[in-house]
Amino acid sequence: MTLVEKIKTIYPVLTPADFAFGGITLQNDLDGRGDYIAKWEHPTLQRPTDEQLAQITE
Amino acid sequence: MALVVNGDGNITGLTAGGLPDASITQSDLAANIAGNGPAFSAYQTNGSANQSISSDVWTKAKIDTEEFDTNNNFDTTNNRFLPTIAGYYQINACLYLRNASASPIKIVGLYKNGSIYKQGMQLYFTGNYYIAADTFPVSSMMYLNGTTDYVELYGYISSSSASIGYGSASCWMNGHLVKAA
Repeated sequence: MTLVEKIKTIYPVLTPADFAFGGITLQNDLDGRGDYIAKWEHPTLQRPTDEQLAQITE
Repeated sequence: MALVVNGDGNITGLTAGGLPDASITQSDLAANIAGNGPAFSAYQTNGSANQSISSDVWTKAKIDTEEFDTNNNFDTTNNRFLPTIAGYYQINACLYLRNASASPIKIVGLYKNGSIYKQGMQLYFTGNYYIAADTFPVSSMMYLNGTTDYVELYGYISSSSASIGYGSASCWMNGHLVKAA
């Protein structure tokens, strides 16, 4: 399950536009870290914690 | 030391290694003389394979093959341009962004030191349109400090089975020094 799929599971209200234009930036720098949250500036939704993300499984 | 030509036509200020720095300004040059700053051109090969990326994630393009690199400032391992001369650089780039589902969002961007600096072309389909692959250009002039500043190329696709293509004609990045600082 990808990072964005986990985030959308926690917050089903999020749309692709939120990630493209809405203050949430997911990023992959090809440095072995994989996908990560580079910026979370959503006006109402709190940034999910690592624990919340880890609890989301297939 | 300043370069001086006296009334007798004698020149002082020359050294064995050439003219002292800043003794000739841009305005002294003839119109057909370009500077000698760094210039590079590189593109994405990635083993002749598309680079799979996650949907909705800004992902660095694997610009890994050089066409030229006059000052050895392009890093094909880390896919970035890190010039050793401070100044203002014109950077141009293009990415071939591929997708498999309808209504994608696609954006290309230049990143400076790991963060978005300038976005280029973007497509945002709100209807049920399907466009499988497009090339997206971006260009900007930017200041790079000659020691730690670097520039990279990123792509963004909101779609299933997203990938960045490859090839010297469609996935590339080039640039050159416009004005030294």
